[in-house]
Amino acid sequence: MNNENRCAIAALALAGLMTATAAGAQSITVVREVDSDRYDPHRSTARGASEVLFMLGDTLVSLDYDMKTIKPGLAESWTQSPDGLSYVFNLRKDVQFCNGKKMTAADVVYSIKRWIDPETKSPVRWRAGKVADVVAKDDYTVEYKLTAPFSELLYQLTQSFAVVIDKEDVAKLGADFGVKGLNGTGPFCWVEWKPRDEFRMKRHDAYKWGPPIYDNRGPAQVQEVVWKIVPEENTRLAALMTGQSQITQYIPYSGFRTIRANPNTKLIGSREAFWTYFMGFKIDKAEVNDERLRKAIVMAVDQGAIAKNLYFGEVEPAYSYISQQALDWNKKLDATLIKTDVAGANKLLDEAGFARGADGFRTRNGKKIEPVLYSFTGSTWQKLAEAVQGDLRKVGIDMRVQLFDPTIAWGKMATQEFDVFGMSYPYISAGDALNLYFRSANVPTPNRMNWKDAKTDALLDKGMTAVKDADRAEAYGEVLEQVHNAALWIPLYHEPMKIGYSAKLAPLKAHNIYGCGLYKGLDIKFVK
Amino acid sequence: MTAIDIDQSLEALPARPGLWRRLPRDSAVWISGATLLAIVLAAIFAPLLAPYDPYETGQPPFIPPSFMDGGMPQFLLGTDNQGRDMLSRLLFGARTTLITGVLAIVFGGGTGVVLGIASAYFTRLSTPIMRVVDVMLSFPAILFGLAFAAVIGPGTTAVVIALSIAAVPDVARITRSTAVIIMGQEYMEAGRAIGLSDGYLITRYLALNCLGPVFVFLTLRFGQVILISAILSFLGLGARPPYAELGMMASQGRDALFFAPHIAVIPSFAIFIIVLCTNLLGDSLRDALDPRLRNS
Repeated sequence: MNNENRCAIAALALAGLMTATAAGAQSITVVREVDSDRYDPHRSTARGASEVLFMLGDTLVSLDYDMKTIKPGLAESWTQSPDGLSYVFNLRKDVQFCNGKKMTAADVVYSIKRWIDPETKSPVRWRAGKVADVVAKDDYTVEYKLTAPFSELLYQLTQSFAVVIDKEDVAKLGADFGVKGLNGTGPFCWVEWKPRDEFRMKRHDAYKWGPPIYDNRGPAQVQEVVWKIVPEENTRLAALMTGQSQITQYIPYSGFRTIRANPNTKLIGSREAFWTYFMGFKIDKAEVNDERLRKAIVMAVDQGAIAKNLYFGEVEPAYSYISQQALDWNKKLDATLIKTDVAGANKLLDEAGFARGADGFRTRNGKKIEPVLYSFTGSTWQKLAEAVQGDLRKVGIDMRVQLFDPTIAWGKMATQEFDVFGMSYPYISAGDALNLYFRSANVPTPNRMNWKDAKTDALLDKGMTAVKDADRAEAYGEVLEQVHNAALWIPLYHEPMKIGYSAKLAPLKAHNIYGCGLYKGLDIKFVK
Repeated sequence: MTAIDIDQSLEALPARPGLWRRLPRDSAVWISGATLLAIVLAAIFAPLLAPYDPYETGQPPFIPPSFMDGGMPQFLLGTDNQGRDMLSRLLFGARTTLITGVLAIVFGGGTGVVLGIASAYFTRLSTPIMRVVDVMLSFPAILFGLAFAAVIGPGTTAVVIALSIAAVPDVARITRSTAVIIMGQEYMEAGRAIGLSDGYLITRYLALNCLGPVFVFLTLRFGQVILISAILSFLGLGARPPYAELGMMASQGRDALFFAPHIAVIPSFAIFIIVLCTNLLGDSLRDALDPRLRNS
């Protein structure tokens, strides 16, 4: 029996678990793993929220497939002052919300001010930069004033947090904004959200202001998109194979081969995939505060085997903290990244005074080396934790694994209880990643390493406020060198962007903005 | 008045056949008993029997069992996705699963017996105890497992606590129903009349007479506990990595189901065998101890 047949049988067996979705000719169903807690662009940071918000709303500027080039969005053009403190955006005059209301500069000003308002408590407020003010110079001109230059501002303004929203809609819905509705300007409009079940959106018929990266700038070419939550990965694969779903990027790695082999399905990928899995050390905890121990641990982990055995060679082993394709990656580090070297790790541990006991595990000053790892339950982190645990046993380190349900894991990882934490994250550039994780001000979370370094902070400020690209790259490059040399993380793998889709659909191109492969969804259409 | 010699009267009664003689002469019982015993012994002596360290990840991954194409003789049941020997992990996994089941039955069953007997003997306690038991009956074991895992973190402890609590109401109800019948017996009245203490009556007469039916129920319940334990581990709430547990092993094999099915199938089959054997034994014990079935 071939893989396709087995998949079909599995799908039949599992079909009872799924609510039947009538995928009409102009309706597509996208299956995904998890839902978001809400769809408020300023309060939801999950990928699950962003992938819906990119379709419900638009941003001032958009991001090209190369993840580096800024393209027009709601703003058809913009200018930047030489000192980098002011950006003037000229808005399109033909944009309207789903309820028919015209979008003007006042909506843009309101959206950004709500984003940075302390009362909104947005966890991604810093991404807006140090805002002095945002003013509407006229109905279609917005000036974005900064107190300090922010070299990444345009990249941040492409993200779902910068989606333009309707003030009246926010006032009308109150606490239900992003729960019971959101009036956006995107290619699709909110129809219904059943938490942890499905999100239904319909085509915005008036839409014609899509980013120029698409041949079709609007309206969308399907009538309806249904985002369906299917937590089990093999069920998602079976849903795609049997046509219950037409698109998904949440495919088990074991299924890539099956999708490629099946004439009814296709697989598309993006090389510019910036989503990295890593484990970080809390560097002020006993034992892991020793840089030699951290380096030895990094050397002991076999990222190549993880990529090959757990992910069937479909992911890229990571030795760097960000993808080496990302904006402002320091190419000088390519040759110095810590690679797998078990003998070297053992030697380093011996030199650092970590002696092996009769049980094969190492001790120092009578204390066994058993760092505690906190991470998430679920097959991904369980597999990764076991693989790293197995690698560390080979060098005499007994890592203790504690996995928590995602509902409480974030809280546990805001504590000082653990030595190592496991996580994955999306980013658009070196600056995006470094400013998030390595700023002293971000201790204890998201800087869970407790890395407090004045030089790092100064360099991050320099990179953030640089007006020239080369200055920014140099500053961030230096931070990259600093944190890699300190062995603060165990990089594990860079997740590729792969989208499986039905052969009934026209060829797609995978985006990777914030890990959302479909982005605006304007190229999704059925083959005639 | 004629004095009655009680000892002589008792000797005159026909001797009750022993439990072993009352067990059905069905070969399935003995096969399942022997299989279960072998599994228990293998689990107990896992550190001696396992050919490899169950946590060692150095071997090639996805090797099928040695009796299948592509298998290697040194790995009798193949290796898993981390390159660990399946046979070694199966032995250690059975150990964890059986310990979890036994602990849950001992703690949950023990508590249930105490509550059931207390509610039958001390009639004033009957209503409050049984209403609490009714409330407990309304919570599924998996919900308990999720709640405990959320509070104390996933692990064997959370599973044992959840399963123990889940076992209490059923055992309490069975015990109480048996104890209420025994409380109506004349020898209990006689015991009270001659001034025997509550403790003596409960331990020497009430509890001992309840044990038969409760033991049979616990044997049947053991299979369910193993199954729920495996389900909880399958959901990621059970044993923590790298410790092996049969449900967790089955869960880990899902990714490779289409090309290395042995990783999920072997632990699943082990769960099936353990549950089947305990259920067969439980059925036979019930038949042997039930006088109505015995006479028929």
